[in-house]
Amino acid sequence: MPRLPDPRFAPDCAIEVDGRPLPARAGESVAVALLAAGEALVARSAKYHRPRGPFCLAGTCHACLARIDGVPNRRTCRVACRPGLAVESQNALPSARRDVLGAIDLVYAGGLDVHHLATWSQPANRGAIAFSRRLAGTGTLASAPPPPVGLAVEEEPFDALVVGGGPAGLAAAEALAAAGLRLLLAESDRALGGRLRAALALPGDPPLGWASDVAAGVTRAGGQAQTGLTALGVWRDGASPLVLLRVEEEPRRLRLVRAPRLVLATGGVALPPLFPRNDLPGIFAARAVARALAEEGLVPGERALVLGDGAEAGAVAERLAAAGMTVRRAEEVTEARGRHRISSARIGGGHVRCDTLAFAGPRAPASELARQVGAEVEREPASGGYRVRAAADGATAVRGVRAAGEVTGPMSAADAAAAGRRAGEAARADR
Amino acid sequence: MPTGKTILCACEDVTRSEVQRAFQAGHRDLESVKRYTGFGTGPCQGKSCLALVAQELVRLGATPAEVAPFTIRPPSDPVALSELAALEPSALPLELEIPERRPTLLPGEGDGAEVGNSLPPPGGEGQARGELRPSAPLPARADVVIVGGGIMGLSLAYQLARRGITDVVVLERRYLNAGASGRNGGGVRTQWTTPTMIRLARRSLTLCRRFAIELGVNVWMRRGGYLFLAPGPEHVRWLERTIPVHEANGLRTRLVTRDEACQLVPQLDPGQFLAASWNPDDAVVFPWPFLWGYAARAAALGVRVATFTGVTGFERQGARLTAVVTDRGRIACQTVVNATGAWSKQVAALAGVALPNRPTRHEILVTEAMKPWLGPLVSVLGNGLYFSQSQRGELVGGMGDPDEPEGIELGTSLRFLARFARAITACAPATGHLRVVRQWAGCYDVTPDNNPILGAAGFDNFLQMSGFVGHGFMMAPAVGELMADWMAGGPPDEIFTRFTVDRFAGGALPREEFIIG
Repeated sequence: MPRLPDPRFAPDCAIEVDGRPLPARAGESVAVALLAAGEALVARSAKYHRPRGPFCLAGTCHACLARIDGVPNRRTCRVACRPGLAVESQNALPSARRDVLGAIDLVYAGGLDVHHLATWSQPANRGAIAFSRRLAGTGTLASAPPPPVGLAVEEEPFDALVVGGGPAGLAAAEALAAAGLRLLLAESDRALGGRLRAALALPGDPPLGWASDVAAGVTRAGGQAQTGLTALGVWRDGASPLVLLRVEEEPRRLRLVRAPRLVLATGGVALPPLFPRNDLPGIFAARAVARALAEEGLVPGERALVLGDGAEAGAVAERLAAAGMTVRRAEEVTEARGRHRISSARIGGGHVRCDTLAFAGPRAPASELARQVGAEVEREPASGGYRVRAAADGATAVRGVRAAGEVTGPMSAADAAAAGRRAGEAARADR
Repeated sequence: MPTGKTILCACEDVTRSEVQRAFQAGHRDLESVKRYTGFGTGPCQGKSCLALVAQELVRLGATPAEVAPFTIRPPSDPVALSELAALEPSALPLELEIPERRPTLLPGEGDGAEVGNSLPPPGGEGQARGELRPSAPLPARADVVIVGGGIMGLSLAYQLARRGITDVVVLERRYLNAGASGRNGGGVRTQWTTPTMIRLARRSLTLCRRFAIELGVNVWMRRGGYLFLAPGPEHVRWLERTIPVHEANGLRTRLVTRDEACQLVPQLDPGQFLAASWNPDDAVVFPWPFLWGYAARAAALGVRVATFTGVTGFERQGARLTAVVTDRGRIACQTVVNATGAWSKQVAALAGVALPNRPTRHEILVTEAMKPWLGPLVSVLGNGLYFSQSQRGELVGGMGDPDEPEGIELGTSLRFLARFARAITACAPATGHLRVVRQWAGCYDVTPDNNPILGAAGFDNFLQMSGFVGHGFMMAPAVGELMADWMAGGPPDEIFTRFTVDRFAGGALPREEFIIG
């Protein structure tokens, strides 16, 4: 049962995967359509040609890349299905499932030391260079130029820019809009809500419907609450930071936004678990499977292992069980096995069969933009990542830039919303 | 079944044991581990692997300073050149930038690993050098102290050691590859305008070709040639004057028509240029391993390479420098070599010697990796655009900015992205598909006549190796060899008498015009 038996989730079109038709629902992501068809293996990895598939379903892990309509390196979790969409597995000969170059992984089982490869003789070295150049790269450059991008990008002034549409960003936007400020709320994914979209109903979680209320409030104040809008960089001169964003919907285009108030609510990044074969298809971020189940009715397999000990792990296990999966929980896994997809995991002395592993582990603060703009960060011991140092009102070391939510360290959605609200309220006075 | 690797960086397939091996080989801080293993250089730009690798390094015993996050390289999500070309460069001032802020440690609580970004010292320095210092003590004296662990200094150190001069210390302010040696586009060409530069470049090409075998580390040299496009009649005339010099010096350079150029690179728009000069023997390399190779082999022969060690002054006596003072102690010595590239002027000033060098930022970027589509390095005369395809399949390209002011600046500007995108999509429109994954900057070390500064300056034993105007990387293998010959007692090559700093005291000087980027 790859999809919940609900007419909302029923396939209504077909996409083409390596030449074969695959049922899909228009608008859902290619990754979800593949998983619903039981295909967790999407790509082969860059160097060792290991099987890879969707992990984060949030556009950050780049493990699910495919050539789509001839364009290489597209994240299948970020491309919406439509009838006839052509998906090809990349970096594989002939296909991701049967990739003869997977032999590289076996030959170099202990690792491939590229720096010292074939340095013993000149002819061997030349051969290795010529051969490896042909192996590198993930697609062919189209000979026809892309269509022109239309109008020149003009700088757009806003009273405030909030990056990230999860609990913290929503609360900040709500507070700013309530003060009548004209703001842009930019969410890179296709819906607002962040982790609330996983519908885990953890204690204190605001209802998901709140997101649309916030969007309406932002619009009433003359601003925009925009999904599919990714912040790419923050550049500074003497004045307010200038943020470059990309509209993800085709035709893609850039926007340049300058705002005296910048709230970074960029959340966290799902980290993979650490054990041998931690990159097997079928291993997912727990929030990713919960969200795909809630929004797309995706039931990723039959037997799930939920790894992690927090409240989130418990809630995800419950949801997957309610969807009909056989679910087991574990606090530690020391190895995964499987050929094209995880088939078992070692727990203690034994192996447990599973086709899905949902990892509810620490998330790394998504502090890239904060680091670009010059905010101070500190190591966050649970994930190993870097959280933004922010005061209770979100203030960072950079004037006019505030941070709230998981980008400042692990916290519940309720706490993230509270932090976002404080940051938004304090930002009203920034200029 | 895939083998039992534990993957830390999924984009570039970097395993836990690869990180462990890098650490054990002495690449301890995140910047060095990134360069050695390639983690964090894929399309996701380190979003998850930075945390995982940092965690692993901590587990292996790295200090908090060693796991300060690597410098952020915009954009934070891949963006197509065609999209960037819609930005208006003139609306984006140079000052609008992301400074290169190397995090400094702040006194803090918790695990003591707090990292501050807020107050970058000028020039973008500040990686917590004190905490990153190597444990091996500095010697109290040495025959030769080479200031600068870039390719110039390390190539010299290796060549000296080969000639039996091993009482040598190389001082590097940061990690290997932190300066222009780790920031350049990896071009190695013979197309110059003077017999001297052509001779040096030809020798360098020969040494590069042998490098992997001689030094035991791959530099991925590929002889795809260099194609210089001439957009205007004045550029064609200039090539017509230059190419005979190449022919007279044994190069295979020739003037090619638009059709021939478009056969070499079918993506070129023939409406954008009139003719081109083509040399099939020029090459591209991957710069970083040159430094590892030279440093490792020099060290094996007895040279001491001290990273994270900054020079703070010199001691002098009459016409000689007698010691180099560093932030880790002083080293008495017979000879001091200044091989600090864009920092040469600052370092010379510590000895009271004025150099006319003007450091100037040049920006560069790479895109996602594609199957081989581009053989040569292509450069456009006039606007300074250049681009090539790396061994990994990325497009690597840069472009100078005539409005760039003098100064050591390693931050990155949005204006460069816009200017580069416009220039390359005009030159080769299909490149608009390519998505930029990373931009950074380095400094050219510019001199008044675009020629290097060599020989003694100010003091009899204060030797200069600077002023290579963005082309030091490709010249270094040959220059290090000639300099070592001279320092080992041989007669000086003409470059050491011709390119001394004293030449600027005289009148007009012949200027090297074949400068790109």
